Amino acid sequence: MNTLTIWWDGEADGPTNMAADECLAAEAERRGSLVLRFYGWSDTTISLGGFQKIGDARQVEAIRGVPLVRRPSGGGAIVHGSDLTYAAAVPKSHPWGASPQVFYDALHGGMVEVLAELGIRAWPHPAGGSAAVSSRERTPAVAADRPSHDEAQFFCFDRRASGDLVMAGPAEGTSSKIMGSAQRRLASVVLQHGSLLLRRNTSVGSLACYPAVADLVVGIAVPDEAVLSRAWGRRIARGLGATLREEDSPFFRGRESEVAAQASRFREEWWTARR
Amino acid sequence: MAADLKFAKTHEWVRPESGGVVTVGISSYAVEALTDLVFMQLPAVGRKVKAGESFGEIESVKAVSDLYAPISGEIVEVNSALPGKLETLGKDPYGDGWVARIKPDNPAELDGLLDRTAYDALVGSQPH
Repeated sequence: MNTLTIWWDGEADGPTNMAADECLAAEAERRGSLVLRFYGWSDTTISLGGFQKIGDARQVEAIRGVPLVRRPSGGGAIVHGSDLTYAAAVPKSHPWGASPQVFYDALHGGMVEVLAELGIRAWPHPAGGSAAVSSRERTPAVAADRPSHDEAQFFCFDRRASGDLVMAGPAEGTSSKIMGSAQRRLASVVLQHGSLLLRRNTSVGSLACYPAVADLVVGIAVPDEAVLSRAWGRRIARGLGATLREEDSPFFRGRESEVAAQASRFREEWWTARR
Repeated sequence: MAADLKFAKTHEWVRPESGGVVTVGISSYAVEALTDLVFMQLPAVGRKVKAGESFGEIESVKAVSDLYAPISGEIVEVNSALPGKLETLGKDPYGDGWVARIKPDNPAELDGLLDRTAYDALVGSQPH
């Protein structure tokens, strides 16, 4: 069935959000179609990529004391709280489910178009493998304080992979990553997490701060998450030629016990510190 | 690709060896689809696995993928050099890129896996 179903959820803590996303993946499998969930965070939270080392996270002074949750998906650490966070899931049998890049590009391409309608120019980082962002591409005031060692790649927004969205950076001739996504590829379904950095998060230290969309535009009012997510959802449905179902109730409704059962794993130390 | 291989729908291959053990790996199709592999976690030797159960993980630049046991049994050996040489998965997925060896609980489970022709058909039907 060629349908895109979207839920908008309020704020929740990290374990609850990760659990809901796993339930979302199961929902995609049940429905045999693309599903999408937008959500917020009850506190500023760091989500770690599935393979990142907890020891690396604990050494980053800029995020000390901030709640951590480990995602089931890959990629680098993200500071949540001032971003547009989404989870999308699609069966592997779906045209967007077969390869990692196809799903990544499909969703990011829709965001490029939404931003363009607002007068904001963003573009996908070209193919050619991942690369760390050189310090000159960060906000100069921030870059001066940032150490140039491996920790620089701890954060998602310090990495570049094909299809990541970038904008012209704060200094001439530079670019800044504003959107990245990562996947968990299960037996028959793909779960993709992603984050559009809308505003700078001031509740973490400067070394965990990256230029956000609102920092990089001049004379353009950046819409809030609700407006942007609705425009993006419609764009994705159009790109897929799918029937759009925008749910009035949150994804959690009717799934409270299922989500709570899954969330317990994400609260446990063995999961968070498994690497 | 050797004709004696069997495949799971989740893209792991199995090759029966002498002594009742099977070698397990990841198909070239799956390796190519993932691209840019960066990390891998192997199962522990001695672990008992059920067919279809996740027994390892592999991370590419964009994705973490589970490796699923194609057959039930005990992990008797792992290719411990592989996580440090992930390029081997692309260069020689059916040889040096093997992942683990399993002593099957029930060798008849092999009959439920796909032969090469059926696997090629499955891969050929995947959306592009």
